[in-house]
Amino acid sequence: MIKLRLKFTKNGPIRFIGHLDLQRYFQKAIRRADIDIKYSEGYSPHQVISFAQPLSVGATSDGEYMDMQLNSMVSPEDVMNRLNEVMNEGVEILDITELPEGAPKAMTAVAAAEYVVRFREGKEPSFNIKEKLEEYYAQETLPAIKKTKSGEKEIDMKPFIYKLEVDEDNNIHMLLGAGSVNNIKVAMVIENFLKHFDEELQEFGIIIHRIDTYTEGDDEKGHYIEPFICRDPEKRVYIA
Amino acid sequence: MNNNLALSDEILLSIEKPERYIGNEVNAVYKDKNDIDIRFAMCFPDVYEIGMSHLGIQILYGMFNEYKDVWCERVYSPWMDLDKVLREKNIPLFALESQEPIKDFDFLGVTIQYEMCYTNILQILDLSNIPLRSEDRTWDDPIVIGGGPCTYNPEPIAPFFDIFYIGEGETEYRNLFDLYKEAKKNGTSRADFLRQVSHIKGMYVPSLYNVSYKEDGTIASMEPVYSDVPATVDKVMVSDMSSAYYPMKPVVPYIKVTQDRVVLEVMRGCIRGCRFCQAGMLYRPLRQRNVEVLKKYAMEMLKNTGHEEISLSSLSTSDYTELPELIDFLIKECGDKKINISLPSLRIDAFSLDVMNKVQDVKKSSLTFAPEAGSQRLRNVINKGLTEEDILGGSHEAFLGGWNRVKLYFMLGIPTETDEDILGIGDIANKIAKEYFDTVPKEKRNGRSIEIVASTSFFIPKPFTPFQWAPMNTKEEFLDKANKTRKGIMEQLNQRHIKYNWHEADASMMEGVLARGDRKLADAIEAAYKKGCIYDAWGDYFHYDKWLETFDELGIDMYFYTSRVRKEDEIFPWDFLGCGVSKKFLYREWQNAQAGKVTPNCRMNCSGCGALSYGVGVCKEPKTGEAVHD
Repeated sequence: MIKLRLKFTKNGPIRFIGHLDLQRYFQKAIRRADIDIKYSEGYSPHQVISFAQPLSVGATSDGEYMDMQLNSMVSPEDVMNRLNEVMNEGVEILDITELPEGAPKAMTAVAAAEYVVRFREGKEPSFNIKEKLEEYYAQETLPAIKKTKSGEKEIDMKPFIYKLEVDEDNNIHMLLGAGSVNNIKVAMVIENFLKHFDEELQEFGIIIHRIDTYTEGDDEKGHYIEPFICRDPEKRVYIA
Repeated sequence: MNNNLALSDEILLSIEKPERYIGNEVNAVYKDKNDIDIRFAMCFPDVYEIGMSHLGIQILYGMFNEYKDVWCERVYSPWMDLDKVLREKNIPLFALESQEPIKDFDFLGVTIQYEMCYTNILQILDLSNIPLRSEDRTWDDPIVIGGGPCTYNPEPIAPFFDIFYIGEGETEYRNLFDLYKEAKKNGTSRADFLRQVSHIKGMYVPSLYNVSYKEDGTIASMEPVYSDVPATVDKVMVSDMSSAYYPMKPVVPYIKVTQDRVVLEVMRGCIRGCRFCQAGMLYRPLRQRNVEVLKKYAMEMLKNTGHEEISLSSLSTSDYTELPELIDFLIKECGDKKINISLPSLRIDAFSLDVMNKVQDVKKSSLTFAPEAGSQRLRNVINKGLTEEDILGGSHEAFLGGWNRVKLYFMLGIPTETDEDILGIGDIANKIAKEYFDTVPKEKRNGRSIEIVASTSFFIPKPFTPFQWAPMNTKEEFLDKANKTRKGIMEQLNQRHIKYNWHEADASMMEGVLARGDRKLADAIEAAYKKGCIYDAWGDYFHYDKWLETFDELGIDMYFYTSRVRKEDEIFPWDFLGCGVSKKFLYREWQNAQAGKVTPNCRMNCSGCGALSYGVGVCKEPKTGEAVHD
C-alpha cells in the first residue's frame, strides 16, 4: 500500500467551495485522472483520502494538504501530473511526497497555519495598522474569549501566535497555532487586536489567504513546526 | 477560468450555497466573446441543483459550444435569498460562465419542463431587465425562445416568448442561428426576423397568430397574421438517435445536485400508449440508441466527469431491446471501478430481479410497481398493461429473492373512476402483503416483515393525451378520494404493513389550470408573479391563496380549464401544434378509454396514431401482431 501526501492551492472562484464539496471535487478528479486509489471495504466503498485542515469558505490558499492511499502507481510525480491534467484552474497540485508506513494522517498532525491577511477595502480600521499591531503584539499576554462546545473560556493567544507582522502594503503575516488543540483563528486575532484599540471588525472585513499548513516535530535543536511538505530547512520554526 | 465574479465576496458569503453562482465547474465552456457571433444563455427556470440535473440542457449546451460561432452559457433561477439581494442592489441577472448580464446576450433559451415554473420564467426575465412581453422588446433584448414539454401547450405563456421551439433541440438550432446572423448583417428588423423564423420547421412565433374566442370562452379560431406564416407547426425530431449529438463532457457541478451522475439516454419515445401519459404521446415514435454506441458513451462520459454513478434514462426502460447486453456490460465495467449503477424502475421480472440483485443491496432497496389504478377495469381505461397477476407474480419472485419493501404508485381522479376502483388500492396492497406471508415462512423472515408504501397523486388531464377532453376532479373530490383510499387501506387485514402517502391538492389544481390553459391566462400569471408568486413548484413557496385572489380579480374561472367536459369538436389552444399524433387518434383513444378497451403497444400492432409519418424508429419495425406479455 502506498501513502501519498499532496500540497495544493485553492484560488479564484473555487474559494467559495465548501470543505465537503472540495472532497467531492477531489474524488471525481481522482477518477478522471485514473489513479489506482484504494477503496475502503464494505458495501459502499469510498476512496481513502483525507484532508489536513479545512479552509473557511471564501479564503484562498497556496498550502492545502491531502493524504491518499493507492494500490499502485508509476511514481508520485506521475500521480501529480495526472491530477494536474484534470484539475480546474484554481486547484493546482504543487508538490507530492510519499509517506512512510505508519505516518500519522495529515488531519491529526496539523500544528500551525501561515496566513496573509488584509482588510477589505473600506473596512480598514481608522488607525495605522503597522504601528498598532506591533504595539498589540508586544504585550505579555493576548487574552481572548474562545467559544467552545461547552461555552466560552478565556485563553491567552500569545504562546500560539508564532508570527504577527505587517508589511509596507499593510498585509498582515501570521503564523498561528492550528489543529485540534491550540487552534487560533485568524478572525479571533484580528477581532481582539481591533477591540484593544476600541474598534470593531466589520462583517466580511478581512480577506484571508493561507500560505501553508504546518506540522510539528522534534530534533536536536528542540521542538519545531514546519510546512507539511518541507523541502527547505530554513522554513523550520523552533518553538518553545 | 473566469475570476471576475458578478457578485461581491460579501454577497457570496452571505447567501446559501454560493457555488450556485460562480460557474467554473469542470467541463464548463469558456470562449473569448470577441471571437464568436452568437451568445446564447441557456436557462432552466428553477434552482441550480434542479437545472444542472437536466439532460436536455447538457445536450444543447455541448452541441452549441461545438459551433465555433456560438458561445452557450447557463443561467438558473437565483434562490430566494439571492433574488432579494439582486432586487435590492439592482444587480442584473448574469450567466454563470462570463458572469455578464443576460440582457447582453443574443438568445435566452428557456427549457420549460413543468407548468409550475411559469412564474420563475418571469423572474428570470425581470431580473435580467428584459421586458416581460415579446411586444415590448427591441434588438437591445435577447431573442427569448422556449423549448421542452410545456411548449406543446405554450399558450398561457405565449406573450412572454418570441419563439417556441416545438420538438427536439438537436435538429433546427443551426438554421435559426444562421438566420439570426443573416438578419444582424442585413439590419433586418426584429419583427421581420421573427417572421422569417416562422418559416423554419418547428418554430412557433406566438406573436404571429391571432386567437378569437366564442362567447362561452372557447376558441373560435386561431389564424396566422400573415399568409406566409404556417397555420400549423409540427414538432421536429431526431430520426437517428445513434448519430445524434450526445454530450461526452457534461458539466460537473461542485455541489451535490439532484442528478449527480452520468446519464445515458438509451432511447426516446415509448411504445406503451398509457392514455394519461403526455410524454408517451409527445415523443413518439420510439427510437433506440445502438447499444455499442451507448457502451462507448458510458465509458467516455465516466472518464470525462469522474462521476461515481451512472444511470439509464428513457421512458419505460424495460422496453429497450438491448437492455440485458447493456446492463451486463455496465456491471462488468463498473464493478472494478467502484461505480454504482442506478437503475430506473424496471418491469419486475426474473431479469430485472437478477440485475437488481447484482447492483443493489437487496435489504435496502425496494420493488416499485406503478399500477396507477386500483382495478383492472380502470387500468384498461388508462391502457396500463400491468395486471394483478403481474404484480403478485413479480412480488412472489422478489420475496423469494429477499426483498421485503414494495412501493406502489397510483393516481386518483382518472375519468370513470368509482369507489370500487379506489378501494381496489387497499385491496391490491393487502394482497401483496398476503403474498409475502404466504411466500416467506416465519423462520425465514429474520425479524423483518413486509413494508408497503402506497402513494397517490391526483390525475391532471394533459394536452395531446386521450384525456385532453376529460374533466379534472375538483379539490374537494380529490381530497374525498384520498380519504376513501386511506379508509380502504385501514380496513385491510394487513393494514399495519401498509403506509399511505398522498399529495396536496392545491398544486394539482394550479397545474391543471396551466396545463390546459389558453392565452387569456398570461395576464394572471404576470399578475400572480407581481404579487410575489415564484418557485410555485416548491411546496413551501407555493401560495395558492395568491393565485386564487389573482384569478378572482381578473374574473378567471379556474373550473373552465379544469372541470369542464370538452366537446369532440372543441378547438383546443394547442390544436395548431402537431406532435405527430393526430387528434382523430386521440379522440378514438378517448372513446376506447370510456369503453374500457385496451389498445396494443407499438411493437404488437400499429394503432395508426399518426407518428408513422415520421417514418422512423419502432414504426419501421415488423409487428408481432399479438399481445406481447408484459
